[in-house]
Amino acid sequence: MSTLRLPQIGERALDLVMGIVEAPINGLERLMGRKRMPYLFLAPNLVLFGIFTFLPIAIAVGYAFTGGTELFVSDRPFVGFDNFRQLLECEDYLRPGSCRESLFWTAIWNTLWFVAFNVTATLLVALVTALILNRAIAARGFFRAIFFYPVLLSPVVIGLIWKWFLDRNGLLNALLQMLGVPPEIFLLEVGWSRFFVVVVSVWFHMGFYTLILLAGLQAIPRDLYEAAAIDAASPRRTLLRITLPLLGPNLMVVLILLMIRSVQIFDEAWVLTNGGGPGTANSFIVQYIYQMAFGSDLRLFGLASAASVLMGLVLLALTLVQLRLGRKMES
Amino acid sequence: MGNLKLENVSKAFGALTVLHDINLAIEDGKFVVFVGPSGCGKSTLLRIIAGLEDISAGGIEIGGRDVVQLSPAERKIAMVFQSYALYPHMSVRKNLAFGLENLRFKRSEIDARIMEAARMLAIEPYLDRKPRQLSGGQRQRVAIGRAIVRNPDIFLFDEPLSNLDAALRVQTRAEITRLHREIKTTMIYVTHDQVEAMTMADQIVVLNGGRIEQVGSPLELFDNPRNLFVAGFLGSPRMNMLKGKVAAIGEAGVTIDAGFGSPLTAEIDPASTKMGQAVLAGVRPAHFTLADKGLPFIAQYYESLGTETYVYGTLEGQTEQIIIHRTGHFAPGTGERLFITPAAGRMHVFDPETGLALPRAVEQRSVAHEHA
Ligand SMILES: Nc1ncnc2c1ncn2[C@@H]1O[C@H](COP(=O)(O)OP(=O)(O)OP(=O)(O)O)[C@@H](O)[C@H]1O
Ligand SMILES: [Mg+2]
Repeated sequence: MSTLRLPQIGERALDLVMGIVEAPINGLERLMGRKRMPYLFLAPNLVLFGIFTFLPIAIAVGYAFTGGTELFVSDRPFVGFDNFRQLLECEDYLRPGSCRESLFWTAIWNTLWFVAFNVTATLLVALVTALILNRAIAARGFFRAIFFYPVLLSPVVIGLIWKWFLDRNGLLNALLQMLGVPPEIFLLEVGWSRFFVVVVSVWFHMGFYTLILLAGLQAIPRDLYEAAAIDAASPRRTLLRITLPLLGPNLMVVLILLMIRSVQIFDEAWVLTNGGGPGTANSFIVQYIYQMAFGSDLRLFGLASAASVLMGLVLLALTLVQLRLGRKMES
Repeated sequence: MGNLKLENVSKAFGALTVLHDINLAIEDGKFVVFVGPSGCGKSTLLRIIAGLEDISAGGIEIGGRDVVQLSPAERKIAMVFQSYALYPHMSVRKNLAFGLENLRFKRSEIDARIMEAARMLAIEPYLDRKPRQLSGGQRQRVAIGRAIVRNPDIFLFDEPLSNLDAALRVQTRAEITRLHREIKTTMIYVTHDQVEAMTMADQIVVLNGGRIEQVGSPLELFDNPRNLFVAGFLGSPRMNMLKGKVAAIGEAGVTIDAGFGSPLTAEIDPASTKMGQAVLAGVRPAHFTLADKGLPFIAQYYESLGTETYVYGTLEGQTEQIIIHRTGHFAPGTGERLFITPAAGRMHVFDPETGLALPRAVEQRSVAHEHA
């Protein structure tokens, strides 16, 4: 056994599994006919998707048109578009205070700002990291793993770790004190807390996007760079005229994915900022939905569902754009 | 000026030395072909000249300038890659313009050069297409065009025809030759196809295992291969090798006993050998003549190409394949026995130990060239 390398073990395990699986599969195929086999394999996924994704979407849409605080649909009165009206009623959309659901509009503006900063920062950081990793540096695999590692962590853990780091008596303040800088209560100050929500988000997700961009960079043929070197292209021109245009499709995918994910910001920010604080400085849309439905016994399921539906429509639009781009990339 | 000098150039990738002490001088305006088997270091040598690869030792001069420390762009070379390496997101026009824009040429000059190159290569209709909208042959021309607009001192080609089909290859080969005649710039061309080497080159550099085996004009190499490798590499089908022994040394040449009681006369320098030395007698398929007596050749099969025929077989009782060439139609039966003799003055003699050719007798040097 000790002479087996890991990939070999994997191969043998696969052989074994295939051997065990083959007999019943062959039997099934005889029973069902070859044509119907694909549906059989798709069925488990489709059933799970139906129960846990499609059904809840349908239910949420239904809830959005009902009112009251009852949990079961049968007990809830139909209210038409009242929930949507309540969400969208506003004197001036730029001033959340003038809106009937001012918290909703605060959350929207917070989210928009967060998306703008987070998308820009993550894209830049991931791009620069990918460009550096793409050079033939030593221990590339190691660095790639390091940057990817946070992606594997749970958002709550991320929130807790950073909270501990940024707390009044946290690590950062201890470090600052050693340098003679007065301590700052980062998470209770509007500017700092917003800044760190972005920092944490960048740190959390950049590895994933770096990986996509790195794959794109590595797919650019080497000899194009050699041709560019012979063509006297400066490093800057090579980046702007060769690398970035050829990375374009990957950048587009990253941009859209990042936007979709940024709109959905919730868990790590919720934990980090103790529920969107200070005040409502870090209240985002998902948090609003969560609080309306489940926070402090409000039980405003209709309002929360209506907000979800609105957000869902925005995400749907973004997803369609992404699918379109994906298809364009393939052709 | 497009002359090139390589002095003791060596190249190692880690512990693997792929080029050993390369010395080579190329005159301005020549068409030089690097030829050799796969992995012999042709591309590496070309890339070293281009500046895409550092050298481990030695010196490189282009036009009398030491270029070892210079970037590819500063060496005034242009390269046509095997993969063409066209910028896929740029139109043909932009591909051609890119290098000139980087060098901050005036727009009018750039346009003029592009039109000139496009005319020369007949790619005007495609100037606004992307590379992926072109056929392989058209891409090839664009790649050459991108090199031409730079107006380099030296053109470097790395197997530029290997992605084309046979007919297009022949056509493009002729076009590159014509282009060279038109612009008279030094061209260095890498190939492992000896037909390309023979037909295109002013000067062939035969490489093997990271060393230069021989440098010379195609016919020099064909008529006077310096060693067994060059003899075997150039010429198709390859040169036949007969085992023999030096049986007599006379004024005009040396007699070689290859068995069968039929001694062969080789016009080599008598001082270069001694009685009884084992030798290999090299005879090209076309240089055997049929006779009433001579070496007994047992025909096995033949290939008729219409105007010529190659007969494959062995010497009687031996196993090494011998190929003979006949012009016109010729249809020996299987197992038929023919007598063959090397044409006078057409035999090459090699020392099997060193692989080197024994020098020809001085007065025999300038044999009338027969084109292969
Ligand atoms: N970047 C590299 N790192 C390590 N070894 C290399 C590298 N490039 C080439 N070699 C080795 O150098 C030797 C010469 O390679 P090169 O590409 O010059 O051969 P070639 O004559 O062009 O062959 P071909 O006709 O197949 O293109 C080969 O043994 C190859 O494996
Ligand atoms: Mg090569």
